Amino acid sequence: MRYSPTLLDHFLNPRNAGLMREPDGVGVEEYEGCGDLARFFLRVRDGCVAEVRFQTYGCGPTIAAASAASVRVSGRAVEELLNLKPQEVEDAVDGLPDDRKHAADVVAGALRAAALDALRRRGEVH
Amino acid sequence: MDRRVYLDHNASTPVHPEVLAEMLPFFGEYFGNPSSVHAFGREARAGLDTARERVARFLRVGPEELVFTSGGTESDNLGVKGLAWARGRGHLITSKIEHHAVLRACQWLETQGFTVTYVGVDGHGMIDPDDVKRAIRPDTIGVSIMHANSEVGTIQPVTAIGAVVREAGVPFHVDAVQTFGKIDLDLANIDLVSFSSHKIYGPKGVAGLWIRKGTKMVSVQHGGEHERRRRAGTENVPGIVGLGMAVEVRARDMHEERRRVTGLRDRLWEGIRARVPDARLNGHPTERLPGTANISYRGVESESVVLGLDLKGIGVSAGSACTSGNVEPSYVLVAMGAPLEWAMGAVRHSLGRSTTADDIDYVVESVEPIVRKLRAAMPVGAA
Repeated sequence: MRYSPTLLDHFLNPRNAGLMREPDGVGVEEYEGCGDLARFFLRVRDGCVAEVRFQTYGCGPTIAAASAASVRVSGRAVEELLNLKPQEVEDAVDGLPDDRKHAADVVAGALRAAALDALRRRGEVH
Repeated sequence: MDRRVYLDHNASTPVHPEVLAEMLPFFGEYFGNPSSVHAFGREARAGLDTARERVARFLRVGPEELVFTSGGTESDNLGVKGLAWARGRGHLITSKIEHHAVLRACQWLETQGFTVTYVGVDGHGMIDPDDVKRAIRPDTIGVSIMHANSEVGTIQPVTAIGAVVREAGVPFHVDAVQTFGKIDLDLANIDLVSFSSHKIYGPKGVAGLWIRKGTKMVSVQHGGEHERRRRAGTENVPGIVGLGMAVEVRARDMHEERRRVTGLRDRLWEGIRARVPDARLNGHPTERLPGTANISYRGVESESVVLGLDLKGIGVSAGSACTSGNVEPSYVLVAMGAPLEWAMGAVRHSLGRSTTADDIDYVVESVEPIVRKLRAAMPVGAA
């Protein structure tokens, strides 16, 4: 099997999948050419991620990466997520094959965008 | 996960035990080079001759009209380039949904000064013979149309297409890799046919091209005098023996199997249609390969369905491939005019001789929760 047990577990049982009503921040990232898309919704309390939801359109690794990343970022400071690196997302699924690295890029990009949106809405960045 | 169900027979098939048994002596006892004059060579030559006669009898052609190759891709390349180069310049006609072996050979020929018309298909993936007729020009030197498409299984009206091509006096090549040994093919209006071994329970790495006697061709691969100077290189004797035996088995079994597999194919689609909302069948409803059911799940990405089924021990293939930097929906479905949100969710199931009704029911049961879960995580219509 080319995917890690962690990745397959998140693919089969995605955590935090779905929409969020009235989120404090929303971010979307698309992967050109592939049509892969990830959208993250954040609920923020005291500057930290209180709740996270995601929707993805993509191959199995993208779904798994979104799920694993959603668990990783829960409770963290929103500001910290502005610098979320694809490597951290990849680590959350115990690695990705070379031809699926874009799953981590899409998910990290969407989370960074959601964090930026949340901070903008609070007027903390411009 | 113990249960395994293989529904990817259009990709490849397991070697039939009777085929394997026929091949084995040609790896050891009869190892000689069929071009050698001594007894060792003659033994290998006898195997080669028997295989050639078997294929010739099946296709109802002369054994001397057959060229064995290394695979369907080589057969297509030899057919298309062999026709083109023998004429030096001119115009070719093919379709937008050909296998890459034909499409890319044609695209390459365009870089060499040839011109090519790629005819389209309708919503069922069917080519209109009138479109081919309209594409024929005074400088048309060859037409190549597949018998059935590997992805959606639509069977082309090659006899009618052949009639208009014949009327224009142009040679007609048919890529029959997906139909050879599965359904009948009338060669009356055809001049070249590509066929393969590993799609019909023969070994990989061996295939053939039938070239109607008198068809002007040049070879693509140069060297020795093999295959009546049309394809140089020592013959893959065990492989060709296997192909010959695979054809014998198909001649015996194909009609009964066609009936049985068609029933299972329809059971699969009926089962999925009843359980999974927003699913649709791609390809022609009736003029379709007996074992092929290409099903789209709207708004779902096909590779994730393939992965979900793989984890249940089920082998199917995705209509779209999601590799870094190069992801596109199937060019076949795009040519058929399928909307992107459907085209991206296409999954091909291709059944074969080992497929049972129980397998089909297991797949139907397995696919519903997979698609439901994926849809829960996916923004519908995001594509």
